[in-house]
Amino acid sequence: MEESLFIDIDHFQRKKQGQNAYGDSFTSKRYPGEDRLIAVLSDGLGSGVKASILSRMTATMVLKFAEAERDLIKATEIIMESLPVCKVRKISYATFSVIDCNSDGNAKIVEEGNPQFLWVRNGKVLNTEPKVITSRKFQNRHMQCYEIKMESEDRLIFCSDGVTQSGLGSPGYKLGWRRSGLIGFVREILKKEPYISSRQLSAEIVKEAEKKEINKEAKDDISSSVLYFRRPRKLIVFTGPPYHSEKDREYAEMFAGFDGKKAICGGTTTNLISRELNRPITGGKIPSGNLPSISEMEGVDLVTEGILTMTKAVEYLENPQKIQPDAAGKLVDLFLDSDCIDFMVGVKLNQAHYDPNLPIELEIRKNVVKRMIKILEEKYVKKINVKFI
Amino acid sequence: MTKINVKICLGTTCFVMGGSKQQELIELVTRKYCGKVNVESSACLDLCRDNEFTGAPYVTVNEEVVPEATIEKVTDIIEKKINEQ
Repeated sequence: MEESLFIDIDHFQRKKQGQNAYGDSFTSKRYPGEDRLIAVLSDGLGSGVKASILSRMTATMVLKFAEAERDLIKATEIIMESLPVCKVRKISYATFSVIDCNSDGNAKIVEEGNPQFLWVRNGKVLNTEPKVITSRKFQNRHMQCYEIKMESEDRLIFCSDGVTQSGLGSPGYKLGWRRSGLIGFVREILKKEPYISSRQLSAEIVKEAEKKEINKEAKDDISSSVLYFRRPRKLIVFTGPPYHSEKDREYAEMFAGFDGKKAICGGTTTNLISRELNRPITGGKIPSGNLPSISEMEGVDLVTEGILTMTKAVEYLENPQKIQPDAAGKLVDLFLDSDCIDFMVGVKLNQAHYDPNLPIELEIRKNVVKRMIKILEEKYVKKINVKFI
Repeated sequence: MTKINVKICLGTTCFVMGGSKQQELIELVTRKYCGKVNVESSACLDLCRDNEFTGAPYVTVNEEVVPEATIEKVTDIIEKKINEQ
């Protein structure tokens, strides 16, 4: 059986210049029991708080309707027929794009009023004809419905019109950046970074759109969300020496044989793996802010100190805006770029850590790992396996 | 003249007990005894679990273990070793 795909989904937004609230809303939810992911991007009429409320309500309603109704078209049709029209401007209060997909790559997409999504495969944008459903109640209101099959390394890019219309009226982009400009930019970026994460790609798109604006000031809310279908990226973190030291070799070999990226957190663990696998530890001179420096070992992507670095990494995961390029920041980068993370947690105690002179913040490894796993699972939707050894 | 080998432990206990002094020690020793001393940091010298020594942070100068290593203590020992050569 073919391995199921992982869907890396993320979004990035900029508010219209001078506003305090985002006028576009993005929401997504995974339903692991049903192998289903639904995501909605909605653009509220106008900007600021009013637009924010309109788009948030629409996005939430579309998500809830789609969730309850197996038939996405039926669910979205109800929304299309009920979205009110602004009395002054005679246009809909909000537009939306919704995707309902699964790990086999089956995706159903419905768009109402938003720019058409991009479907990118091998650096090329694929064209697909929609089935158009016209509103019975409202003139000029249509839904474009698509049913497509995603393959590994395919991407879907959704955006609000703030992206395609960025730069409108500027000397370089009289008609705005447009879909063609966006396509060119995405192709260029994928040529340089074919494995770019959804987090990075959505941010790049929005930042580029903002650059197109006169004085780089967003004239509208600018949002982009990206879905990247791929084989799961795996990471293993080995932290702490095993309880039974006679099993050191076995665990070191298990770590070395792991099919994915590898990180070691802990000085004793590093020594143990170095000894068992006969791989020297080098580096240790890479400065790391207030944390112990990073070491290097052949075949291992990151080698750090243990408790302090992991405690700091949990802090960064809780407050991503605080991330620094130190050892903990590098560990967090590895986490965020991975889909499945295995932890091998050695539970042998180091008596020295119980010295009453040590600060109280120095926690027991199991507790730090427990907090780390909870946040990675709940906030970052990572698939975690943990083995206490 | 053979170089003196200095290893500075950057394990959790040593790092915490030594404050931020270890990084300073690495930089200072490298600068001050340039050419005479080989400075290396270690992920862990595995000394803290051993009750034979009094306490972190640990540094080794050649084979000599320096417990509760301060900048002064380590530089004194390095100078002593240089003078002995």
